[in-house]
Amino acid sequence: MAPRFHSARAITMDEVASRQYPVQEHMVFQRRTWIVQRVGWVILAIICLAALTGLFGDGILSNRTVEGAGFTVEYERFERATRLARFVFHFAPSQNSERRLHLGRNFPDKFVIASIQPQPTRSVASAGGLELTFAGAPSVAGQVAVWARPHGYGSIAIEAHADDNPPSTFRVFIYP
Amino acid sequence: MDSVIKACIVYFVLWAIIRISGRRTLGEMSAFDFILFLIIGGSTQRAITGEDYSLINALILVSTFVVIEVILSLLDLRSPVMRRVFEGTPTVLVENGHPMTYRLHRARVTQDNILEAARRLHGLARMDQIKFAILESTGKISIIPESTPSARDAGKR
Repeated sequence: MAPRFHSARAITMDEVASRQYPVQEHMVFQRRTWIVQRVGWVILAIICLAALTGLFGDGILSNRTVEGAGFTVEYERFERATRLARFVFHFAPSQNSERRLHLGRNFPDKFVIASIQPQPTRSVASAGGLELTFAGAPSVAGQVAVWARPHGYGSIAIEAHADDNPPSTFRVFIYP
Repeated sequence: MDSVIKACIVYFVLWAIIRISGRRTLGEMSAFDFILFLIIGGSTQRAITGEDYSLINALILVSTFVVIEVILSLLDLRSPVMRRVFEGTPTVLVENGHPMTYRLHRARVTQDNILEAARRLHGLARMDQIKFAILESTGKISIIPESTPSARDAGKR
């Protein structure tokens, strides 16, 4: 049986020396390779742990809620290119029967909108971005979910405002 | 443009991961390892092709992979250092019947693995019948039997 545990004492100088026969060895290189391999395992394990915590999206580190004027948005801080992302906007109750959600230009630029629930009664695209109008009852909080696929990479600042409130910005990082 | 860059990144990331995983993974591939490799292929394939299933994209990707392969093989020919980096080097694990425990441990090869290769390749049953056992850069274990008459007889029996 091979020993499970290997003590440093057993590393003899002889084993470290390169053989010329029956094959030409390069033990210095080989030992470096073994070290690099072990470093590599640690890096791969860190990647797995980071993925579990949500550093690459979909996890505790990624879930975020940003409070703006008149609305809050729930979304993932980290998103991945081409994967469907969800943004849930919660409107504070207001006197109007119509609720407007304005999304800055970055949003239609970097995301392909797949679905908006509920469907907006009106959707206007302008140089400033996208203006969505939803039918709603006065004095009732509303909720709108926007499903969209990112198609760029990097950090994106999205500006949004509800009704005539001042705009708020929230950031999304998109992995390639 | 995107396809070529993606193909290059995937090629080198996969190469690095396979190299990191160690030589044993490549040579002594079990049925499960084979399935694992299919899954690795499947999961990277979508990342490379994305939503572009066009003929031209497939052509670009295949060309990129072949070009990388050719460039690397040319580098291998020119430079022994590059060859070592890309393919690894052989390591002697058993010398004159003595297993070298430090090397075995580092290479994650057990004495049982060596004896298995000895049985399979030369019909040898004992460690002292092995003159050299070498872990090749391909990940396979080669056995050179001890050439004394008694060892040879034992091998034939």
